[in-house]
Amino acid sequence: MPLLVFEDIWKSYQVGPTVLDVLKGISITVEKGELLAIVGPSGCGKSTLMNIIGLLDKPSSGSYHIEGEKIGYDDDRILSSIRNKNIGFVFQQYYLLPRLNALDNVGLPLAYRNVPKTEIADRSMEYLKRVEMQDRAYHKPDEMSGGQQQRVAIARALVGKPTLILADEPTGALDSSTGQDIMNLFTKINEEEGVTVIIITHDLKIAAQCRRSLKMIDGRICE
Amino acid sequence: MILGANLKEALTSLTTAKQRTILALIGIVIGIGSVIGMISIGAIVQNEALKQFKEMGIDIITVRQDSGNTGKGGSFRLDTIRELPLHVKDVKEVAPYINSSVSYGQGRKTEGIEMMGVTETFFRINKLRIKEGRQITDLDENRYFCVIGNGAANILRKFGIAQPMGSQVALGQRIYTVIGVIDKVPEGGGMRPYGLNNAAIIHISTAKRTFQSPDINVFLARVGTEQKSAQLKQSIGDYFTFKARGLRVNVQTAEELIEKMQAQMRLFTLLLGAIGSIALIVGGIGVMNVMLISVTERRKEIGIRRALGAQQSDIQSQFIIESVMLCLVGGLIGIILGTFVSYLFAYFTKWEFVVSYMAIILGFGVATAVGVFFGYYPARTASRMDPIKALRS
Repeated sequence: MPLLVFEDIWKSYQVGPTVLDVLKGISITVEKGELLAIVGPSGCGKSTLMNIIGLLDKPSSGSYHIEGEKIGYDDDRILSSIRNKNIGFVFQQYYLLPRLNALDNVGLPLAYRNVPKTEIADRSMEYLKRVEMQDRAYHKPDEMSGGQQQRVAIARALVGKPTLILADEPTGALDSSTGQDIMNLFTKINEEEGVTVIIITHDLKIAAQCRRSLKMIDGRICE
Repeated sequence: MILGANLKEALTSLTTAKQRTILALIGIVIGIGSVIGMISIGAIVQNEALKQFKEMGIDIITVRQDSGNTGKGGSFRLDTIRELPLHVKDVKEVAPYINSSVSYGQGRKTEGIEMMGVTETFFRINKLRIKEGRQITDLDENRYFCVIGNGAANILRKFGIAQPMGSQVALGQRIYTVIGVIDKVPEGGGMRPYGLNNAAIIHISTAKRTFQSPDINVFLARVGTEQKSAQLKQSIGDYFTFKARGLRVNVQTAEELIEKMQAQMRLFTLLLGAIGSIALIVGGIGVMNVMLISVTERRKEIGIRRALGAQQSDIQSQFIIESVMLCLVGGLIGIILGTFVSYLFAYFTKWEFVVSYMAIILGFGVATAVGVFFGYYPARTASRMDPIKALRS
């Protein structure tokens, strides 16, 4: 069974009197364990696509299945729960909470699952080790470099053992060598953990390192 | 989300934005502080008023001639009053008295002294304690002897009589010998006649000869418990209707007075509480304001949390906990402050300080309620935010 199935997804916005179609009938199938890049210039709608894949936004029409389950958009609790358990987000700007140290940041997704405190700390530390950030466990985000923050963010995405990692321009704010390190980390995670990784980027060099890449132009996929 | 983590979160968030937190705290401290202060002061006043009854006992009644009688020459006769215990069994003792104000001193510097004409029983019924000398007895009939109150003794000292006991004082055209001084009695409330501390107490027979209006309008009585108060009132009323040609009387029992006073006190406390509540509402609006700012400032955080899987209810409870915590800290300081203010009140009035535990429990309860009530709207705003818009901000 494929992990994700997109069928004829449209997303339109009403801008004044005109209707603006951002996604124009996107159909994708993503298998488990894939390392997939979605590339396209800015403004092609890839962020909107990512928001829909990540259940942060809902399509105007079309259907979306995750592991065979059709997504209904009327119950926010179910959407939140799927985000919490099945999806790990990695953002361009890392989006760590500035008041929490690395360990607590990593543990956040587990905190919303009523996992006991000590277990949260243990598992968070385990995943910090996996991204080689255990030395910085008690540092706050502003005491870390961009690359280090992104590693912590990846640990946070992994800690809940999701089936899908959704990365939106994960190397966009990093210099090329740090960016490459992060890319290597994604490849490693994909191979070692078997977790599906979808990377959204405008960088063709990044896309070239993924086993499959989809080009997106003007709201459409052209493989 | 685990409550402990939420509490820690709230604490960090509040301590990070210190200035804002302090501003909101001030509002809530003043609000809770004034409610607690006002209620505690109410409790102190009530305690003080009831103390008079505790001291004097509640077996005392006051009998006045009804105001409807005035002008018809109807007033009590001394012997009719004195014979009352013989006819109404439950009346154990009676203490009729008349009073008249005189000024003591010369020229512009004068002080008011309350002259009271009494019988022997007056001292016992009013539980007056003799500090020096002796009390007035019925053997002092028609004699110019007086027993003075503590305040009156001080007035005499001010006018150069170093030892009031045994001295001769001119009061309202007559000269009296001071044969006793009584201890200070608490003023206000209770069944005691007003102004005992500044009184010069003489025998009622002397008073009837010297006072300008020698009518007896009121007397105190000590009663037993055999009859219900309604029956007792009836018996006393009947007695005077029969003996004094239809003289109507008005009997007031200590119980009634206590009830009346307590009703007044409740009203007083309610009023004070209401005044405090206004401050509390203003404080609560301050909390809401601060929470709204906090929500706006933390939009991105809310977006991140939502993306990581926080439910709307998680976000809502996070902010409500923060607001309740703010209010509880403010409430605690407010309770301390309010209690301190009521302590100062007790200190300066020299009344007994009582801590109203009701007020303290109420304070914590109200603080929590204010936190939930004024935190609800900001928390709901936070939880209803669109995660994408929140993330982009």
